[in-house]
Amino acid sequence: MNPSPDGTEAAAARLRATIAGQFGRSLHIRTLDTGSCAVCEQEIRLLTAPHYDLHRLGFFFTPAPRHADLLLATGPMVRAFDVAARKTYEAMPGPKVVVATGACALGGVYPKDPFVHGNVGEVLPVDVWIPGCPPSPLALLQGLAVAVGRLAERTPDLTFIADGGEP
Amino acid sequence: MPLWFARGLRRGVVTTRYPARPDDSAASLPTPPAFRSWRLTREAADRMVAACPGPALSRQDDILVFDVGACTACGRCAAVAPDVVASSREFELAATVRSALIKKIPIRGGER
Repeated sequence: MNPSPDGTEAAAARLRATIAGQFGRSLHIRTLDTGSCAVCEQEIRLLTAPHYDLHRLGFFFTPAPRHADLLLATGPMVRAFDVAARKTYEAMPGPKVVVATGACALGGVYPKDPFVHGNVGEVLPVDVWIPGCPPSPLALLQGLAVAVGRLAERTPDLTFIADGGEP
Repeated sequence: MPLWFARGLRRGVVTTRYPARPDDSAASLPTPPAFRSWRLTREAADRMVAACPGPALSRQDDILVFDVGACTACGRCAAVAPDVVASSREFELAATVRSALIKKIPIRGGER
């Protein structure tokens, strides 16, 4: 990313810090199923189980987008869902964060065709991408922590090369 | 009295931040592949690209392009090229930029 001359980058960094501060202790999550197979939803539900205990971190699920700070979108974004997805996003009060969850939402499973967009980013402005099919609750927790700026993302440093001392 | 309750009374904290310690169950999660670049040949790369059910793998000359975001950790690349593919054991893969999930693996095998 090139630093822009007019200080937009610095302003964006300040804005991110402000949002992270506002979301630091309490954050309400609305899940949005855009045509997923429901395994991502199953993993999301597991977050509230005692073993993972999402609430200890100040994250809560809310049944309405009007009370939500974060939109957890799963599925490949079927085109029949366009209006509902936009309405959900617009109903959320700002500042808001969109998290694309699972390989479908990241464009890994369904190609773009007349029925699906194939990628949540085609319709909504995505802030954090969580890979996995499905992402485990641990991966979701890390993604949520990255979304509110409590953890630094690790992916830029990973190479996926396992040479293990070979020449 | 359960140990966690006594510990909570002593410290005034009954919950922990993420992650308090590495989770043992993480070892059994399916994770995306990692590639042994010195054993990776163009032929093996093409075999893996053909076996991949999604758009996660593609080859550009001597680079294997691996889209971690599109990978479902199905293991089909490991089945067609078991000597090249290892499990990465990485699952905390959240990214704020989509392109950070696209990795370029150099094809270093089969040249000498």
